[in-house]
Amino acid sequence: MTIAMALTKGRLEKNTIAMLDECGYGTEALKNKGRALVFADTKKDLEYFLVKANDCITYVEHGVADVGVVGKDTLLEGGKDYYELLDLEIGKCKFIVASLPETDLFNKVGQIKIGTKYPTVARQYFLSKGMDVEIIKIDGSVELSPLLGLCDGIVDIMETGTTLKENGLVVLDTVCPISARLIVNKAAFRLKRNEILDLITDLESVVKKNAASTQ
Amino acid sequence: MNQIQLPEGFRDSILEECTKKNRLKNTLQEVFESYGYEEIQTPAIEYYQTYSKAFKNLNDQDMFKFFDTNQDILALRMDMTVPIARAVTTRFKDEMGPFRLRYCANVYKVRPSLAGKKCEAMDCGIELIGLDHQSDLEVLLCALDGFEALHIPSYLLEIGTVKFFEEACKNAKVSDKDRTVLADLIDRKSMVELKDFLEKSSLSATAVEFFMSLPLLSGSQAILDQAYALSFSPTLKEIVIDMKELAVALSELGYGDHVNFDLGKIAHLDYYTGIIFEGFVEGAGTSVLSGGRYDSLLKVFGNDLPACGFSFKIDALADQVHLEQKKEKVQLIYGPNQKTEAMKWAHELRKTKIVELVCGFEDEIYIKEVQ
Repeated sequence: MTIAMALTKGRLEKNTIAMLDECGYGTEALKNKGRALVFADTKKDLEYFLVKANDCITYVEHGVADVGVVGKDTLLEGGKDYYELLDLEIGKCKFIVASLPETDLFNKVGQIKIGTKYPTVARQYFLSKGMDVEIIKIDGSVELSPLLGLCDGIVDIMETGTTLKENGLVVLDTVCPISARLIVNKAAFRLKRNEILDLITDLESVVKKNAASTQ
Repeated sequence: MNQIQLPEGFRDSILEECTKKNRLKNTLQEVFESYGYEEIQTPAIEYYQTYSKAFKNLNDQDMFKFFDTNQDILALRMDMTVPIARAVTTRFKDEMGPFRLRYCANVYKVRPSLAGKKCEAMDCGIELIGLDHQSDLEVLLCALDGFEALHIPSYLLEIGTVKFFEEACKNAKVSDKDRTVLADLIDRKSMVELKDFLEKSSLSATAVEFFMSLPLLSGSQAILDQAYALSFSPTLKEIVIDMKELAVALSELGYGDHVNFDLGKIAHLDYYTGIIFEGFVEGAGTSVLSGGRYDSLLKVFGNDLPACGFSFKIDALADQVHLEQKKEKVQLIYGPNQKTEAMKWAHELRKTKIVELVCGFEDEIYIKEVQ
């Protein structure tokens, strides 16, 4: 049975395709996209399509895609109706809490305002610290919000930390590490079990190989 | 405001969709009836308390709630099992069981916004009340016969038991708090976090290996041998042996190809006490059947009876079935002065065909075929 695989566009795209190549899959069509939207693997019984991270979860939850590759950041913020079977260990970064150095965020008296693109992650983090904060949803350049006085602090993704440093923000805490995960539709896991387990075995061997080569 | 919208999560069913749903419903009801199940209908509205009593882990936000004139909280029923458990304890109070009840009804759940999910769905199922786990096989067969009757070529019934995980937690002395986390991680087969969690825990190496294997401990009958090997206590081994017995019986009865086992199955409803099972068909992204044994639910309402049941999700199934050829449809066209004659003819025709009457302008009467 054909496996339909939803890949996240953008940041993860290149690394994911490289992993599939390493597995010996035929991803030529994915590299020379043209106008097509669905790409058939030239070697395996697989079908790929590229979608935005949030949509990847939606497609997998509905079973339109059997499996998907998506960042943990998106998973933490979205639905939960899928299986998360493998850490691909690509697209690594982390969720952090940051503020201006003069703000004593964790000891501030009164209302604390947090700017973030990830309200669920931010709320859960502060609740786990026993803090009830006000979340302000910001869609881009989150690091700007404390500078302009909209928020006391931010919860955001940090890759290298350069952007934060350039804006004079300091990291106060790490919320959790992030990397790309392989998610699987619940019904597909039963009905296409062997195909999916094979895919996982293939990807897992690449994960191990990659880990060994970076050490 | 131009009020033409439905509330989100609700939809009208028209034409073929209705026909499909009705066909599914009728076919299943016939199977249930042949097993001796009798129909029960309960109101769409229950007291919220009925549900909060039935579930310890009830997610309040999943229910549509409102108030009655006494300011008591009412709720739209979110399943049929709880209303039936309530009804049996009152309506059949002094009667001897077992009770075999079937139903087909809409149930309501608040679903995430803008995710293409339905808040109202039709459940069609049975509850066998008053018989212990010896009747598990009968209930499973009824579900399998339901699938057979629907002529779905590839379906799969996956069977697990809540006892396997629970006994393992007890034997490995997992705290209540850790148990909840562990259950959630295993249920979502969240392998990365599960590994993290187990590595940080103080559980024995055997227990860690056991819990780490649970999410993938599913497949055909052979998986039970693997489960047996992983079982680190006599009670766990016993549970696997019971499951094997069930597996042998099911394959002897000819259902082997349609049955899978999943020892890592975690119940989403905390009233389940024994086997739990889900049905899948090709094309549907979610389960189309779910059920299990709930031996302590009726006690909550004051009548201590064991029970087991399941329901087919009619809406999820309707998208996957194809209708067989319908009756031939014709138009009978007649003139303004031929009404009686036309009705007479139509009456005859309707014995074999579907007849739609059309009044024309001229006095002539004839049949036209409709695609």
